[in-house]
Amino acid sequence: MITFEHVTKTFDTLKVLDDLNLEVADNQIVAVVGPSGVGKTTILKLITGIILPDEGRVAVAEGAVGYVFQEPRLLPWRTALDNVAAPLRAQRMDKMGARKVAARWLARVGLQGFERYYPAELSGGMAQRVSIARAFAAEPRILLMDEPFSNVDVALKGSLIAILQTIIKERDATVVYVTHELTEALRLADRILELTPDHRLRELDLSDRSAVAREWLAATLGSLEA
Amino acid sequence: MVSTTPPRRTRLLFGVLGVAAILVGWQVLSLVVNPAIMASPADTAKALANLVWEGTLWIQLLITLKRLVIGLAIGAAVGLIVGVLAGLEPRLRSFLEPLRWTGMTIPAVIIAVLAMLWFGLGDVSVIFLVAVIVMPSMYVNTMAGVMAIDPRLVEMGNVYHFSRRLLLTEVYLPGIGSPVMAGLTLAAGIAVRAVVLGEVLGAMNGIGHAFSRAMSYLETPELFAWVVVLLALMGVIELGLLRPLKKRAMRWKKVGE
Repeated sequence: MITFEHVTKTFDTLKVLDDLNLEVADNQIVAVVGPSGVGKTTILKLITGIILPDEGRVAVAEGAVGYVFQEPRLLPWRTALDNVAAPLRAQRMDKMGARKVAARWLARVGLQGFERYYPAELSGGMAQRVSIARAFAAEPRILLMDEPFSNVDVALKGSLIAILQTIIKERDATVVYVTHELTEALRLADRILELTPDHRLRELDLSDRSAVAREWLAATLGSLEA
Repeated sequence: MVSTTPPRRTRLLFGVLGVAAILVGWQVLSLVVNPAIMASPADTAKALANLVWEGTLWIQLLITLKRLVIGLAIGAAVGLIVGVLAGLEPRLRSFLEPLRWTGMTIPAVIIAVLAMLWFGLGDVSVIFLVAVIVMPSMYVNTMAGVMAIDPRLVEMGNVYHFSRRLLLTEVYLPGIGSPVMAGLTLAAGIAVRAVVLGEVLGAMNGIGHAFSRAMSYLETPELFAWVVVLLALMGVIELGLLRPLKKRAMRWKKVGE
């Protein structure tokens, strides 16, 4: 369970979140959509605890957190295997055990045989798959994803979403997923929340997902024409 | 104009040609300059062979090596540790700035004289000099390396609750490999110069002392032989120790090139 109560967050003089309330139940997949710079990533960082709210309260259930960043953020001096093993070692698992688990997760994302490759030897899509394997290897109770497909091409995006859908389905993890593309959110999420530039959080009615997609597309095209 | 790196054999050939040019230039100079102040390559080789045959070379080399290694290790370790801490903590960085400035500005000969005054002649004063001379370059390179670490990697470590130790061993230390190796290469060169200076001024043995003694007795071929020994020592340190170390530390970078 993740709860935000009247959360306000300001960076220097820029107010990013203002009196935000949010509740995510266990095992829910929640997408937060909205344009760039409205504070979507800040929500994820508050959940991890690496930043704290200026006002209000953030409560997060106990357990490991997995995080898929916008860019892979792999350690360039570690192999794919050791990158995936790193969060396990942070959980005090021994090196050999962590590598065994990491190898299983690399195979899961289709990277068997690439264990000893360094990030510089991998393509962008492969590196992002390593990042996904790293997020899941830690057996997360909460999985956070920050626009994980924004730097990959359309074909790769499809296969990465498919991998994620399969793994998420098998696991009991609460997922908070940030994106500015509603179509992606519609494929993955149980709930979609729209964060607006005036710091309001609005839940979209997903009883008819096609209608939501059409409405979004029309709004996007309208803004392009204008 | 775009220049490409020539193949290894060509580079080696030009390196050998460079050495040959130095030898030829040296030989020509020795023919025109008074032999009391300029020994020829052949006389130098003869003097070098004598030093090897008598065993003097090995004894003095070991004494100098001991001082060099201990001084370099102490200076590099302190520079590395304090450099990491200063890179992480801006207040410590500001606090140490006057000391860094002093260390990098003060002439080596002054430190050598002070070391003699404080520790007398011998090992301690030479080791002290080497360590103090080496420290600032290691400190500056390490600190710059820590400050250049991608903050997004540190954030990733924090998100996954890396302990301080894991953050250090997985993010910071491997991340500063390149500047630290550059600092160490620089430090090794400075250390060799410092150990010789220390031995010339403040020791009764070692290569620097032998060099100084040869100069006093105008044994010019022996003096040149010690210069050759020093150059060989630097070559061994750089090619036999630092390059393989750098290659190992930076292998992740090499594979991506």
